[in-house]
Amino acid sequence: MIKTIPNLCTGCRICEIICSLTHEGSIANKRSRIRIRSNWPQEEKILLCIACEPKKCIEACPESALSWNGYLRIDEEKCTACLLCTEACPYQGIHTESSKKSPFFCDTCQGEFQCVKWCPTKAVVKAE
Amino acid sequence: MKSELNGYAGRILEIDLTQGKVESTSLDTDLASNYMGGKGMAARYLYDHLDKRCDPFAPQNMIIFATGPLTGTLAPGSGRCIVSTKSPATGYWLDANCGGSFGPEMKMAGYDALVIQGKAPRPMIVVVDGDEVGLREATDLWGKDTFSTHQWIRSHLGEEFRVACIGEAGEKGVRFANIISEARAFGRGGAGAVMGSKNLKAIAIRGHYPITIADPKTFMRICREAFNEIAIHPDSGGGRQKYGTNTILSCMNETGIHPVRNFQKGIFQGRSVVNEEGIKEFYVRNKACYGCPIYCSKISEVKEGKYKGALVEGPEYENVWSFGAQCENTDIPSIIHAEYLCDQFGLDAISTGNAIGFLMECMEKGILKESDIGFSLRFGDDEGIIRAIHLIGQRKGPGILWGEGVKRMAKEFGKGSEVFAMHVKGLEMPAYDPRGSTGIALAYATSDRGACHLRSWPVGAELLSAEERIDPFSIEFKAEFVKNQQDLFTILNSSVTCLFTIFSLNLRHIVQFLHSTTGMESFSSPEEVLRIGERTNNLVRLFNLREGLTKEEDTLPSRFFTEPLKEGPSRGRVVDLEAMLEEYYFVRGWDEEGAPMQETLKKLGLP
Repeated sequence: MIKTIPNLCTGCRICEIICSLTHEGSIANKRSRIRIRSNWPQEEKILLCIACEPKKCIEACPESALSWNGYLRIDEEKCTACLLCTEACPYQGIHTESSKKSPFFCDTCQGEFQCVKWCPTKAVVKAE
Repeated sequence: MKSELNGYAGRILEIDLTQGKVESTSLDTDLASNYMGGKGMAARYLYDHLDKRCDPFAPQNMIIFATGPLTGTLAPGSGRCIVSTKSPATGYWLDANCGGSFGPEMKMAGYDALVIQGKAPRPMIVVVDGDEVGLREATDLWGKDTFSTHQWIRSHLGEEFRVACIGEAGEKGVRFANIISEARAFGRGGAGAVMGSKNLKAIAIRGHYPITIADPKTFMRICREAFNEIAIHPDSGGGRQKYGTNTILSCMNETGIHPVRNFQKGIFQGRSVVNEEGIKEFYVRNKACYGCPIYCSKISEVKEGKYKGALVEGPEYENVWSFGAQCENTDIPSIIHAEYLCDQFGLDAISTGNAIGFLMECMEKGILKESDIGFSLRFGDDEGIIRAIHLIGQRKGPGILWGEGVKRMAKEFGKGSEVFAMHVKGLEMPAYDPRGSTGIALAYATSDRGACHLRSWPVGAELLSAEERIDPFSIEFKAEFVKNQQDLFTILNSSVTCLFTIFSLNLRHIVQFLHSTTGMESFSSPEEVLRIGERTNNLVRLFNLREGLTKEEDTLPSRFFTEPLKEGPSRGRVVDLEAMLEEYYFVRGWDEEGAPMQETLKKLGLP
């Protein structure tokens, strides 16, 4: 999974761009699974699934739509978009585009870790 | 709604503040092919639609925010947006551009450009939430500084909104008031005052549309190559990442073109204190605009002393100069505080510091007296600088005239002050002395928005480049160099990407980005793309001529022709402009009066 070092983050959002290009085929920062929150003059926040323990998102899901196998997975059939998982996540790592759609989150690009490869300052790195 | 054009949002949003009307129209494909976006698109729009010779503060003046096909993409330095209007500083063309996230957000909201005209009956903000666009009363916000305005908007409308707003200086019509987005600026030429004249406090924008890429695979591959080159290049991956734009401070002093005491000298005695290492002491972290791997921005904070609490994204090289060497001030915390105040008031920090240096010289020469203004404003007086900024930003007392800029001040003061009013066409000069760089002399004299170092920056090739150096004192080939670089920089400002990428990349990369993003034929070769830059620069020239520009204004302050530099490698030098200017007109295909010839226009498909 991915480890973040927020004080190295410059807020360039290249991670968001490459994440959405990889997953969506277009640049859609608001569909990115890693999100940078900037609010001058505060430091940047890097928001993504960091594979924490215990996994409150899985516990919070009333439909048992979430599971873990290397990374968080979702059963779209079961998901009702109640978004309780987004509220349960202590790291704001589960993202949504609108209240009616299923959430999305880091899948490590199936082990390709594109954001890690592209981050110019190594503010996101592979957790050993 | 999704654009049929890749890289573009596909829509233009027109806002009439007088009537409170908003209308979204489709982007004209020919406009995109022939003018790309950003500066080019704005030039075509203003040339076609702006009332001839209108007062910059009249409701008819237009203010355009525009992105280009690369804005918001993975192309390095894609976080930029341009603003264009008729400048209250020069009365001519203005485009200024700003980094951060405003431009990308505008495109995600589904617009390539916002075209604003008219005058709101009361203070307003324009709120663009994707397809929902509206005007909202902002009487409560009028008078607020730019940081408080951002906070108010984001807490009332939502944290995801990106903002461009003015401060008190813009509201009160300071001719060099800027527009602030987060802690960055659409800096030069007074676009903030135009917003103020329209009762427009801010634009808040948010959007969810994706930006589509014609050939994502190729695009990602060439971006990867560009990122790698930027990372290892000594400019972008070295000095700029470590020191930001201040990386050139020592070098500019060594070459003797770092202007001191309002351009009386070219080497700063205070350079042992005010240098890149000294400034770096105040850096607390790195910052980047959207999509930029260079992160030349530095956040600086003053943590103790009388200027404690000052916090800026900067200070940039230009402002370290304008409040440092220009005013012969060696107190770094005061320089940071000065920039902090300029950001809050929404003042262009280059023009502000230049104007204060001018006032200091006026006082030195007895043209301005302590009794006239109520306090001493001498070279080296940091507290005087701060006092002057407050008076300009709030337009109080003598600050009412000071906010008119040095050209108009000199006219009012008389007594020979015109000789050292350091401006071209009414825009105050930045931090390079043209007596030690023939290229920048020509660049200043021919820049479309007045004294500007960002229409062409020959200083890099003359004094800094590790690769190919050209002679800073020779006038040979400078006309061609400046012309070509102006066309190239106009492409960057039309694409819209940051100029700072071009010192480690080149036109070939830009063409590859443009072509793989849009798939458009008109962006498929360097020649085609440069022609768009040349076309735009000629159109802007036509605009300026229509507004009354004459050859006599393609010049420099007379100090540079009559007072030689006294020290350093450029000792004894004055500017010899005439021959270069004549050659420049020739290579541009302009006549002796500086007007594009019919065959030039025909060749470029103008007007």
